[in-house]
Amino acid sequence: MGTKEYDTFLLTDPMTVPEEQEMDLIVRDLTPVDRRYKYRSAYVTALLSKSESKYPDRLWIRLGRGQLQEKPWSIKIIKELNKFPKGSE
Amino acid sequence: MSHPVYKDNREFIKALEANNELVTVQQEVDWDLEMGAIVRRVCEKKLAAPYFKKIKDYPGFEALGAPLATYSRLAIAMGMNPKASVPEISDEYVRRTTGNPIPSILVDCKNAPCKENILSGKDADLFKLPGPMVHDGDGGRYLCTWHFVVAKDPDTGMINWGMYRQMVFDEKTMVGPVLPFSDMGKMFYGKYVPRNKPMPFATVIGCDPLSGVAACAPSPIPEDQFTGMLMGKPVELVKCETCDLEVPAHAEIIIEGEVIPNLWIEEAPFGEYTGYRTSPREPRTVYRIKAITYRNQPIITVSNMGIPTDEGQLLRSFSLGLEMRKLLESQGIPITGVYMLPESTHHMVVVGVRPIYSNIATQIANLVFGSKLSPWFQMVIVVDEETDIYNKDEVIHALATKCHPIRGIRKYEHAVGTPLYPFADPEDRKWSRGAQVLFDCTFPLDWPKADLPIKVSFNKVYPKEIQDKVLKNWKNYGFRD
Repeated sequence: MGTKEYDTFLLTDPMTVPEEQEMDLIVRDLTPVDRRYKYRSAYVTALLSKSESKYPDRLWIRLGRGQLQEKPWSIKIIKELNKFPKGSE
Repeated sequence: MSHPVYKDNREFIKALEANNELVTVQQEVDWDLEMGAIVRRVCEKKLAAPYFKKIKDYPGFEALGAPLATYSRLAIAMGMNPKASVPEISDEYVRRTTGNPIPSILVDCKNAPCKENILSGKDADLFKLPGPMVHDGDGGRYLCTWHFVVAKDPDTGMINWGMYRQMVFDEKTMVGPVLPFSDMGKMFYGKYVPRNKPMPFATVIGCDPLSGVAACAPSPIPEDQFTGMLMGKPVELVKCETCDLEVPAHAEIIIEGEVIPNLWIEEAPFGEYTGYRTSPREPRTVYRIKAITYRNQPIITVSNMGIPTDEGQLLRSFSLGLEMRKLLESQGIPITGVYMLPESTHHMVVVGVRPIYSNIATQIANLVFGSKLSPWFQMVIVVDEETDIYNKDEVIHALATKCHPIRGIRKYEHAVGTPLYPFADPEDRKWSRGAQVLFDCTFPLDWPKADLPIKVSFNKVYPKEIQDKVLKNWKNYGFRD
């Protein structure tokens, strides 16, 4: 399977985002197998790097008003998180 | 009832086509930005509504874009002549919506086309619907841009239909802003959340055009009954599959579920009705779905908010202005009319008045700024009866010449606002704080009559016989019009 692509919205200065340590964030899947699921969002625990090649998948960065940043980062998704209360799953 | 009534979106589409207000797009279009870009250009150019017959990845689905983005399409929706003027449409709207509400009627499931297909359990998957990526940079796919959400007050049983945008998060989840001062916000945040109870909801996509108009209207009358008044007959509703709400039987798609208390998920950014992407991406209200029902060959409706004019701006301006008119008339204010400019993205309203007593403009501003309509606009321009409120040139002329830069402007601080105001400070957006202003374009009554400026126009400064003579001979002079 080739490199997958995701994007995320950063609401803080991208320079302050911690690298190479586990963090929770929302990502959108830009390359699903079934194209109907493009932009599906998920809460995940992941490792991020500002280097495009550090982790297996590509992560595009958008700012709070949707501004796409020029260079992608890389991401390794460790697990998907469930934020929903029991009964609404 | 002496006007045509369209019981569903399909009959409305036929009426648009018959009146040259529809372009049928046979070529396949992509839900990912292409469809949104077409609708945006249609709004900016004020073109006919695009009816998309083929959507990439979604065979069997169709879409109608910009369904009510012009006054002509609003007139058709009202069953009126498409060339009807704004004052004519306004008067008809006020006539129909003044008087006794018309209660809706319940029909059996077998007479409800929206039940032709039912998805529940795992099959109820939002990605099975062609939610468009409306603008590049949006926070997600906005399946619901021209639709309404049905909810019920847990204590009074009062029904609310309102247009609350909804972004698809995952298969089962939508998110969107429900501002606490909105009707549904008062229900959810005022009653369900304190009890930690989920609120049943039903999202209606592709309704008949007048139900959409009613859902936009800030009227105190329940919207299903308000629709009946606009139609001149009861709207037909059917029971939901998973809760005790009722929805229009002839709608294209219904999404049922619950709004979850005490859970927020990031939503936005989104290209908004103000023509900007303003409100921040931040945690917003969460809708979890339980069932989707839809007609065969369903037609979604797509609005594309941006610079003027889209249906959100046009219809919200229209109904906000006319609810203000009803309010001011109910208080006996001698107004000559109220017109909210769609180009102002329903931020600016023009009120015409016979200024028969001092400070009447302040009284008008106090009334409208003090009403429940208030959070949605912030500028009131009051003009006298010699200004045509529907004529932008005349309104600008009055504003620039009659409004004293100090005495004529009254500022109102500490108003309720919205996160969508582009002019608001970021912190004010977060807390829905706003400010408002009155532009009083009437001359003070205490000025000596001899000192009053006289408006210099063809209609004002020539004797009637000269005007008649000039008009009679106009073409003889060599002019065409």
